[in-house]
Amino acid sequence: MSDSRAPLTPEAAAGSLPGLSVSDAAAIEDRALLDRAQEGDVEAFESLVERHKDRLYGLALRMTRSEADAAEIVQDTFLAAYQNLTRFRGEAAFGSWVHRIAANNALMRLRHQRVVEAATEELLAPEFTERGSLAEVPEVDWSRRADEKVLDEELGRAIRQGTDALPEGYREVFLLKDVEGMSYEEIAEMMGISVPAVKSRLHRARLALREKIDAFYKEV
Amino acid sequence: MFNCKESIHSLLEYVEGELSDTQALELAEHLRACPPCVDFMKTYRATPQLARRALVDEMPSELASKLKAFLRSKLPSK
Repeated sequence: MSDSRAPLTPEAAAGSLPGLSVSDAAAIEDRALLDRAQEGDVEAFESLVERHKDRLYGLALRMTRSEADAAEIVQDTFLAAYQNLTRFRGEAAFGSWVHRIAANNALMRLRHQRVVEAATEELLAPEFTERGSLAEVPEVDWSRRADEKVLDEELGRAIRQGTDALPEGYREVFLLKDVEGMSYEEIAEMMGISVPAVKSRLHRARLALREKIDAFYKEV
Repeated sequence: MFNCKESIHSLLEYVEGELSDTQALELAEHLRACPPCVDFMKTYRATPQLARRALVDEMPSELASKLKAFLRSKLPSK
């Protein structure tokens, strides 16, 4: 006998309701699991953990650059989420909520580490002539690669290395805005900096990562 | 009309649609005359898209098992 309360995959849910995107379907399914978890259904909470653990781990790993820290952040985040489950009213999606908890946790760890070790990384940026022209003309327009179905493995590695090499303060902004999709205001509040400072760091981080990707294509 | 440096410095605001009408015009004029900056802009826009695809990590199975065990030790038993 099938369990009518068993979670549908987002793809199946989207398929059963024309016009519903996979992400909408995932949010609806999360909401249903959250309702059950808030009623004390531990299995429903474990399903939420299963659905979000990889993305949370990815965020924590890229922010802290440490597997051990990332694993602890994921553990602490889900425990905090469970302990505050009844207080969560669901104005935001469950995913956004836990991502915010994890990001805050990672930022706290980074703040602590920053006191101990000074950042040594430098930001790459395009170079200009005295008259303000690009000193080096881009050789390849690789922008269409972003639409290709399969991402080249070597390129993926270069992007991960490039992101890891972004200096503290820039890497977090880039991950929270461009990967997590948080708002400028949210990031400014979490990091304790102004919105213009967030935008400035984001721009410089994008330029630095663009340089890395450009260098990758020049070498290929 | 902007030069390359001014154009590239204005890209974030351009992508976000936050340039003033005058700035947007200055940038558009520069881009019409500067194919390298057009390529630069395209690749600037593509950078976050590529990053989103590259930065997908899976929690290693060993860590996932530890997470499960940790939560089971903290959560009420089913």
